[in-house]
Amino acid sequence: MNQFSYFRSHRFRRLLVVSLVLIACVGAFFWYKLFRKVITVYADPVEHFKYGSIGVEAPAGIPYWIWVVLPRIFADKLPGAGGYVALGASWEMGKEMPIGFTKEIVGIPRVGVNCAGCHTTSVRTSPNEAPQFYFGGATSRFQPQGYVRFLFACAHDDRFTSANIMKAILAIYDMPMVDRVLYRYLIIPATKRELLKTEKVDYYWMPERPDWGPGRTDMNPFQREVMRLPDDHVVGSTDVMAIWNERAHENMLHHSDGLNSTLTESVRSAALAAGATKSSIDIPALDRVEAWLRDLPAPKYPFAIDQALAARGQPIFAQQCAACHAFGGARTGTVVSIAEVGTDLNRNKSWPQSSADAFNKWADGYPWAFHHFRSSDGYLSVPLEGVWLRAPYLHNGSVPNMRELLLPPGERSKVFYRGYDVYDQANMGFVSAGPQAELEGFRYDTSVVGNSNQGHSYGSDLSAADKQALMEYLKTL
Amino acid sequence: MAEPLTPIEQTGRSMAARVVVVLVMLVYILGLFLFRRFNPNFPVVYTPIEDHFKYGSIGSEAATGPVADGIPYWIWRVLPDMFPDKLSGNGYASFGFVFEPGQDVPIGFGRRRVYIDRLGMNCAICHTGTVRDTPGSTPRIYLGMPANTFDMQSYLRFLIACVSDSRFTADNVVRAIKARTSLDPLETLVYQQAVYATREVLLERAGQLSFMSSRPDWGPGRVDTFNPYKTVQFNFPMDNDHSVGATDLPSIWNQAPRIGMHLHWDGNNDLLEERDKSAALGAGVTPVTIDLKSIQRVEDWLLDGLQAPKYPYAIDENLAAQGAAVYKSHCGGCHDFGSAYVGKVTPIEEIGTDRGRLDSYTYDFAANMNLLYAGYPWRFTHFRKTNGYANMPLDGVWLRAPYLHNGSVPTLRDLLEDPAARPKTFYRGYDVYDRTKAGFVSDVSQENGRKYFLYDTALPGNGNGGHLYGTQLSPGEKDALVEYMKKL
Repeated sequence: MNQFSYFRSHRFRRLLVVSLVLIACVGAFFWYKLFRKVITVYADPVEHFKYGSIGVEAPAGIPYWIWVVLPRIFADKLPGAGGYVALGASWEMGKEMPIGFTKEIVGIPRVGVNCAGCHTTSVRTSPNEAPQFYFGGATSRFQPQGYVRFLFACAHDDRFTSANIMKAILAIYDMPMVDRVLYRYLIIPATKRELLKTEKVDYYWMPERPDWGPGRTDMNPFQREVMRLPDDHVVGSTDVMAIWNERAHENMLHHSDGLNSTLTESVRSAALAAGATKSSIDIPALDRVEAWLRDLPAPKYPFAIDQALAARGQPIFAQQCAACHAFGGARTGTVVSIAEVGTDLNRNKSWPQSSADAFNKWADGYPWAFHHFRSSDGYLSVPLEGVWLRAPYLHNGSVPNMRELLLPPGERSKVFYRGYDVYDQANMGFVSAGPQAELEGFRYDTSVVGNSNQGHSYGSDLSAADKQALMEYLKTL
Repeated sequence: MAEPLTPIEQTGRSMAARVVVVLVMLVYILGLFLFRRFNPNFPVVYTPIEDHFKYGSIGSEAATGPVADGIPYWIWRVLPDMFPDKLSGNGYASFGFVFEPGQDVPIGFGRRRVYIDRLGMNCAICHTGTVRDTPGSTPRIYLGMPANTFDMQSYLRFLIACVSDSRFTADNVVRAIKARTSLDPLETLVYQQAVYATREVLLERAGQLSFMSSRPDWGPGRVDTFNPYKTVQFNFPMDNDHSVGATDLPSIWNQAPRIGMHLHWDGNNDLLEERDKSAALGAGVTPVTIDLKSIQRVEDWLLDGLQAPKYPYAIDENLAAQGAAVYKSHCGGCHDFGSAYVGKVTPIEEIGTDRGRLDSYTYDFAANMNLLYAGYPWRFTHFRKTNGYANMPLDGVWLRAPYLHNGSVPTLRDLLEDPAARPKTFYRGYDVYDRTKAGFVSDVSQENGRKYFLYDTALPGNGNGGHLYGTQLSPGEKDALVEYMKKL
């Protein structure tokens, strides 16, 4: 007998086999309960756009049951009544998730976000009614910043404990025992930890910058969260853009400063900013969205149009606007320099050539690597299909409605409210003043950095009658 | 190989074995005893369906979550003994509960042992009413009719006032219980704990319902269906929500022909089962404690087992025959089973009745209702925001006074008057029937110590305008129409 005889014994081998099998079982259990992916496939492209995964759940998904109870436990951290609707989420009747929120299994059901959260427009004709939703538009209500801030605020709160969250969950759901143990000892503490880490690592730059408010986002997530570029302290607040009818935009630049020349790269990079990672991004899912966007028509103006008046507005449009804003216009879809258009320069400055260069190298080695990012000296002159639904106007959403956009810049509202989705037919935009708009909306102050409403004074010298006719025509686009 | 045992060792082992056996038996017996005494989930079950409806449990007694309304039976029993100063009349009867002879709880309370016996509300609490022929008659109980005498809000306020009172201590409560029954030391201990648990649950509820104080009182036969729901289920802040959602309780008989109709006053759901599970939440169940089989029994019975009761008084058949024609031309199109507009929502601009209830049901709230019963196959999928009030079928309409969704018009005859001529104030909660106007006598302010509720149509949510249909008829036609409607 030597000192290793035990390790050669039958007994040891049996122990070894049993141990390995046990380890494999435990491993399989944790893989099944924490990592196994079951992704829903929605046959209908609209459902896919609204509720389909783009690959956000694994790296950034909030465990479903935590997501369900957070607004009930931390109702005080929301801007008002309504749970996630208070953050502007659009929620169809009968659906488990709001539009733009996905529920997929990564071990356990987790909640992620997709394109539709920011690209669905909610419209009401009066305050006490259910909204209409228009897909592919720019959200009128949703606050992407409000959502992440709500999650961070919850994670910071002393009430974010396994005991409190489990109490709230078990009050509404008879959770299986295994899941209870996982939630209590693993998932809830890990979620808190991850949220605090995300805030510190990915969103550290946010507090020093002005609030976006509903319907706006920022270029900083691309640069700080995705590419981890050092903070340049530039304000990149920007109005969310409509993304319908993309086939007609094929040869145009994308984003308000034209920072990319391809729709494909614009879609994929947006998914990264929404929380997908190099390893989790679901390219086929995004390709489906992209294909659908190419032929998604801009919605027609749903209210009455004075056709005679609109006909009078048509030549005014042709003369004043078409060169830059009509399909086929000489400068449509190209960048007009800040020197010429005169609008707020911050958004343009927030995307320097160095960011474009970095992004063009960032995903090298991946089949979907980026090559078409660029920077510019101005803003894109966009085609105006569905422009009635794209208020507030200008790249930073600094002008509440079309009537004001046709005023000399000095006469536009210095303060207004955005995020209230009742449509203002008279002024072509959303109601941006009055008690209900103040209650539900976000106070937009044009004196804040990045929020200037100056520039783009085209049409401001038209007669009142011509402006009225032009607006009526714009409703037909 | 083990060594053989010595005789002493053998004796020791068998002694030990005997002790173990005896101990196991003792633990088993104690366990049985404790389980019988403190069963965690043991509803009292009634075989006849009427008894099940009246006294069966739907799962609202359990206290597994923060939103359980179950009150330990003995605590509930002694509250009126301890706090007579908080009652306007005699015991629980002062809230208009319907008591049957020989029963220690009113109709509408189920009983379930959840460690100790607890009471919880069931469907009958809001859907059982009484009718008296004259002030001196014995009340006749009608199952499924609106609880015309029951004042839910006052009852909730009484419970909250009791547990908020400094006299509501474990010692005082147990002393009061012992004045009525005997408690052994173990039960005494359990009830002492239950006092604090009950207080905690009710104080949480009090906080959630504090918004009620800034709105007009419901009065008997009415509840604010959805505002409490906003705070109890979702903790919605009510700072900017000033809606007044108090509505008249509906009848719930004869549900089969209502399948597919837009239910609730504003027609916000077209699935009976969801409407019922929603009402069960209102009665205090949680998605975890709800007793689906029990509710299913009630639902099956309500489908076609329980029919609208016949008008029990004389009807002038000639007059009713004249009224039938008037009804056909003026009412049937919206209110007859099978008619074009029955069970559909008439826009608020057209119906013109008080919009308080409509506006209390908001899109934000409807959206969040999509997550009620999340995790279960019966998660809500049919709630929606509407823009008006639904046209109800009129079976048993004689028992469904006062009229309109907010119960703002005391009788059918008054409803046929121009809004300006309808009573501006009247009393609710009285159950003597007014055979001339079809409705309950509404000018009695109190009787034998019970005070009735003065309904003021000038208060928010209480408006009696709108629904002008039939108001242009001649007085004779109106009388005939009312006579006919008694037959529905």
